[in-house]
Amino acid sequence: MKTPKTGFTLARYIGFYSSLVFILLSLLTMQLKGFNFAVDFTGGVITEIQTDQPVNEQQLQTALTSVIKEPFTLINVGSDLQWSIRQGISSEKMPETSLLMESISADFSINVLSASVIGPQVGDELFEAGALAIIASLVAMLIYLSLRFEWRLASGSVVALFHDIIIVLGVFSLLQIEFDLTVLAALLAVIGYSLNDSIVIADRIREMLRTKMKGSLNGIINKAILSTLTRTLITSGTTLGTVSAIWLLAGQPLEGFSIALFVGILVGTFSSVCISATVPELLNLKREHYQIEEKPEGVESYN
Amino acid sequence: MKQTHKPINRYSKWQYIVIIFTLIILGLNALPNWFGEKAAIHIQSSSTKVATLDSSNLYNLLSEQGIDVEFIEQKNNQSVVLLQNESQQQNARDILDSVLGDNYSVAMAMESASPSWLKKMGAKPVKLGLDLRGGVQFVMEVDTDAAIAEREAKIKEDLSQLLREFKAHGSRIGTLQDGSTVLRYPERVDNQISQVMEELSTLYPELSQVKNSNREIVIGANEQFAQTHHQELMRQNITTMRDRIEALGITEAVVQRQGSNFIRIELPGVQDPSQARRIIGATASLDFHQLQAQGGSLYKSNSGEMVRLNNSPILSGTHITDARSQFGEMGLPEVFITLDSAGGKLMSDFTKDNIGKPMATLYSEYLQNEEGELEKNSKVISVATIQAHLGSRFTISGMESVQATQDLAMLLKSGSLTAPVTIVEERTLGPSLGEQNINNGMAAIMLGLGMMLVFMALWYRKLGLIANVALILNVVCLLGLLSLVPGAVLTLPGIAGFVLTIGMAIDTNVLIFERIKEELKRGKSTALAIHHGYKNALSTIMDANITSLIIALILFSVGYGPIKGFAITLGFGILSSMFTGIYVSRALVNTFITKLPEPKKK
Repeated sequence: MKTPKTGFTLARYIGFYSSLVFILLSLLTMQLKGFNFAVDFTGGVITEIQTDQPVNEQQLQTALTSVIKEPFTLINVGSDLQWSIRQGISSEKMPETSLLMESISADFSINVLSASVIGPQVGDELFEAGALAIIASLVAMLIYLSLRFEWRLASGSVVALFHDIIIVLGVFSLLQIEFDLTVLAALLAVIGYSLNDSIVIADRIREMLRTKMKGSLNGIINKAILSTLTRTLITSGTTLGTVSAIWLLAGQPLEGFSIALFVGILVGTFSSVCISATVPELLNLKREHYQIEEKPEGVESYN
Repeated sequence: MKQTHKPINRYSKWQYIVIIFTLIILGLNALPNWFGEKAAIHIQSSSTKVATLDSSNLYNLLSEQGIDVEFIEQKNNQSVVLLQNESQQQNARDILDSVLGDNYSVAMAMESASPSWLKKMGAKPVKLGLDLRGGVQFVMEVDTDAAIAEREAKIKEDLSQLLREFKAHGSRIGTLQDGSTVLRYPERVDNQISQVMEELSTLYPELSQVKNSNREIVIGANEQFAQTHHQELMRQNITTMRDRIEALGITEAVVQRQGSNFIRIELPGVQDPSQARRIIGATASLDFHQLQAQGGSLYKSNSGEMVRLNNSPILSGTHITDARSQFGEMGLPEVFITLDSAGGKLMSDFTKDNIGKPMATLYSEYLQNEEGELEKNSKVISVATIQAHLGSRFTISGMESVQATQDLAMLLKSGSLTAPVTIVEERTLGPSLGEQNINNGMAAIMLGLGMMLVFMALWYRKLGLIANVALILNVVCLLGLLSLVPGAVLTLPGIAGFVLTIGMAIDTNVLIFERIKEELKRGKSTALAIHHGYKNALSTIMDANITSLIIALILFSVGYGPIKGFAITLGFGILSSMFTGIYVSRALVNTFITKLPEPKKK
């Protein structure tokens, strides 16, 4: 396939190679910066408080320093009223930060919304369980794909899948967004979503190969992508819309979750167009791989 | 395409019936969520002898303490007090508990506020997770390693005692690198050693004994036993936790295993973790005592009468190596107990002279009181008559039911085997935070849903309206499913899953409608385009949904608490969106769009 690439094909290949660069960059970032794991995984003490009137960080910091002896970080969560106090876990006794709040003397009053003490032991196990969940999902997806598609077409979806996960992780590492359990759940949802997108295109390519449509493979792939493009854009758009609704309105607890999904859907859409169909082409997908007699139970079997 | 005799774009009557029936069932189950829940206190008299409570007395009692009561309902020997204000629930329970005393059990619960005809049908609102309701959550670590180490130490102790008893002089007990016990002995005590080993295997049948040629025997628990032992320890601890939480008067608590060594406890509605922490973190012990007429100490037994026990126990539960419930010769339930050799000796010495006399089993818990000091809390769980001279293996009979023997066996075992527990995670979520989460979540659902409805109506016009009806039915079905399925809990990530499903549910209809548009462009008639649109999109829809369903299943089996909530809504959301997106929307299309006379097809 040495003919000069033009138009859509060219765009597709530029997208494909730049996504490879993005994967490398993401891996590099993860290597260099690591992740900002939340207390779910590392253990620690979180006390969420609400003040009865807006205060600035300085005021609150001073008020809190008078009662909390251990080092802590103060984070504003939502307006100037809600704050989160984070502390590392001290080995001997769990500090009852929530009780200390009552003894604060300031010209505003503090109301404790939630108090969490999480030991590091739990986190280790959650981490293992999370990694296990991701691996199990990937394996399950591989098995499903290999049952439904010929390996060349399947590997396109797989590369797209890894691309999506790695980029989302890269973004979390680069921006040091807090990585908590809900982000893990969002990552799994991204796996499902990414595949969903690639499958729609792969399904169409397979269908077109079977109908013995005229034209080169490259032409067929372009046609398959373009004919599903409206659907791809609408679905990505609606899903992005609902995810934005969560991001905007559901508040701080689901922030990491919605960022992971938002990025995941964006790169998922990109990868389904640029990667999932390009990889099979590079792997020399041929029309003969999808003739009806090879798989007699094809598309028509549902219904 | 081959044409069958079946007319296209027609659903048969039974298909409509199934669709309508499903929609009605799920719709009715979704309905109670509209009415919500009210905080309630359940008061149950512990026996029928105690007079039922007078509603107006209860009302006055609570009103005096400033608690707003909505109404009080009497059913059999249970009173249900509905409160106006959820924040007063804990307070109300404490007041009632202290006033009513031991004859009543007072528990906090949530009661559905739906009209009685709905309640009679058994429809309940969806259960809210801790992050939406507020409450306390603990994660405890069970130190099974410590329990296993303790057991190994005991095996060694028993072994050395047996060696002394059988006069196998010159033997030495050591530990191998992998932790198993090794016994080395000189050749002259060969006979004694085989007797010792025989005795040991009756005490610990699960131990393996491997004889090496050079005068040594390796004794070790096999891997499978270690595994079942670990599982058993976890199960016992979970059972103990459930019993203790029940005693706290919390009916909707969740106690479940988390990973290999953790127990997760969720106590909805509890505001103050200190009381729960004291009771959950307690350790238990078990002793056998002799009954006596005077002196000693008085204890309350499980049948309610007072029993006077000798202060020093015959033997303590630490000597029990195994306890299981079984049926005796007469077919009556009994508990079969195995003691270690030291315990067997104590028991033998005592029972030899006391046949026909009663023996009591005393269960004690060490609880932390307000000042952080340990406090002992004891009760007699059984009184049985000694029938014969007992050794290291005997049975306790005279239990009233199979359940009682099973409970006793469990308690005896946990008394002897209990692994130490420590609280490794504690989260308190105030009710105002839960309310805020619900409001935010609802706002996100409304915005997401609103955007979808507007977009679909603008983009697909007539078909879009059908997709919108299907989408709204999808929301109703999902809510109905969540309320209907026991164990389904709505959490904040669950709400996110809800919103996400709304976005993804659209995909099903988009796939179909885009196909229909393509078919129309190829010049097919509306009816044929719809027929082929639905048909050709189906395999893609299935592929896409099955992959997401697999993810939801994996997430469900691995996740805990809020994450499980996400997996549940995601999974059910996919199922309900397939139902409404494919079948309900098709039925609507068949009825409202293709029913128009189509001269070409009939």
